[in-house]
Amino acid sequence: MNAVEIKNLSKNFGAKQAVCGLQMTVPQGAIYGFIGENGSGKSTTEKMICGLIPTNGGSIKLYGKDYTDAGIRSELGVLIESPGCFPGLTVFDNMMLQAANLSIKNAEEEVIRVLKLVRMEGAAGNKYKNCSLGMKQRVGIAMALLGDPTLLVLDEPLNGLDADGMRIMREVFLDMIKDGKRSIIVSSHLLGELQKVATHYGIIRHGKMIVEMTAEQLDASCRTYVALQSKDKNRTRMLLGCKYSRVEEDEAGYIRVYDMTTPEEIVTYLYENGICVSEIKTDKIGLEEYYIDLMKEGR
Amino acid sequence: MEKKISLAARTGSMLKVDMRRMLRSRLFYIIIACALFIPVVMIVMLTMMDGTVSVNPQTGEESVMEGPDSIWQSIGTLPVAFEGSEAENASADAADGMAAMGAGMDVMAMCNINMMFMGVAVFICLFISEDFRSGYAKNLFTVRAKKGDYVISKTITGFICGAVMLIMYFVGSMLAGAISGLPFDLVGDMSALSVVMCMISKILLMLVFIPIFVCISVAAKQKAWLALCGSLGAGMLLFMMVGMITPLNATPVHVLLTAAGGAMFSFGLGAISKVILKKTSLV
Repeated sequence: MNAVEIKNLSKNFGAKQAVCGLQMTVPQGAIYGFIGENGSGKSTTEKMICGLIPTNGGSIKLYGKDYTDAGIRSELGVLIESPGCFPGLTVFDNMMLQAANLSIKNAEEEVIRVLKLVRMEGAAGNKYKNCSLGMKQRVGIAMALLGDPTLLVLDEPLNGLDADGMRIMREVFLDMIKDGKRSIIVSSHLLGELQKVATHYGIIRHGKMIVEMTAEQLDASCRTYVALQSKDKNRTRMLLGCKYSRVEEDEAGYIRVYDMTTPEEIVTYLYENGICVSEIKTDKIGLEEYYIDLMKEGR
Repeated sequence: MEKKISLAARTGSMLKVDMRRMLRSRLFYIIIACALFIPVVMIVMLTMMDGTVSVNPQTGEESVMEGPDSIWQSIGTLPVAFEGSEAENASADAADGMAAMGAGMDVMAMCNINMMFMGVAVFICLFISEDFRSGYAKNLFTVRAKKGDYVISKTITGFICGAVMLIMYFVGSMLAGAISGLPFDLVGDMSALSVVMCMISKILLMLVFIPIFVCISVAAKQKAWLALCGSLGAGMLLFMMVGMITPLNATPVHVLLTAAGGAMFSFGLGAISKVILKKTSLV
């Protein structure tokens, strides 16, 4: 059974169509990386999944049931935009309120458990308004984890987190899906971080799903390239540009050749033309570059 | 995987949250304190100013400041004594020495316990708008598909706050009466029971006002100012009827009438609030 199954979902804000005939499938046990540009409809879709905004058409099924089903909705954990805490209350009190909303038995124990998960147990007595951005984000994630939800919907959960926070979140996410029953939808612009945990991807553009794939499919789709360094970069680029169709220099100063070739062939070619290669390697483009390429193609 | 939760359990747990929030909010205690001290300050000051003569410097006309004649003026009024009407005969005794307890538009006729119907609007508007402003409503509605639970819970919370405010105002008035030495005499067809009936009918009448404030607040969402303007405006339209429906000589009929009105408004406006929540964005 799929955790989320969306068919022909539409949403208009006045004349603006935010989501247009969206199809989306999140398998059970998946960490679904939901990617798209700003304003592409990610948050709107997530809000519709959570029943926070009415839809203008289409269907949303969560674990085979309509998304309005009260039983299934109580199985959701959500962090969309902000954690939704009262600034004047302490972190612990805010968590206890949400625990009461979820009718959690042994609420105190559960609150302490999730606060420990996100390493926030020491700040439980702090007023929410006095927490830093990163701490607030951790509280939001802890709140979403309350009651061990079956489906977690997280909108930009990694924003404001430090390196340790990101590592902790990765651990939490991977631990959550271990049993294969629970699923997570994560939208993030930190694609490098997302790639470390996501098992499935959905890329949305102008309110339409342009591609859905598994991490394995993404890996297969990502082009390989040969990256090299030499002393005379300008001449190397010029020479490679004469022979290969796509030659680019990356941020680290490597010259990349994306055509189907081998390092040996390139080294031989450059050597014949008087260029000495100091370093050469074969690599694959990551999610970020794949996404950027995809966006460029669409323009 | 599917959990079936009954309406009572759902509303109960949501109410628990709202009560917890209400009891931890400063606003609630400020409002309760106001309900307690306003009558004390007002009655004591008006009694002190009783008989003060002021002169209009332009006309030289003298006017005498009249203070309250009875502490019950702070709690309610007796039916209007129209000339030649049955009401006049019925409240003839009461009118004797308690003219201001009629429909006279003096200070006590407007600034009495009925102000609490406006006070509770402030509480409800700020309480509900805080839900939406903080994003708490988002957390709530994600795990709670039934919008009706929210409306019921807010109505009950508002009702409890309103009832506490009315009781506090009553206590404050009694304290003020004791401090200022105003008579506690029950005149006309007033009795201790009718005063209790009057208070019960006022509390039940809260159920007419609160669904209106809840409805306006859920429509205004995070815009507290809009909710406040709308609620106070709508409240003013009904404000004048409070004195008439809940007189000091109230009978069980008044209690029944206010209960019926409360139930009607709660169900009717509750349904409208639910539709508003269903059809509009909650973030």
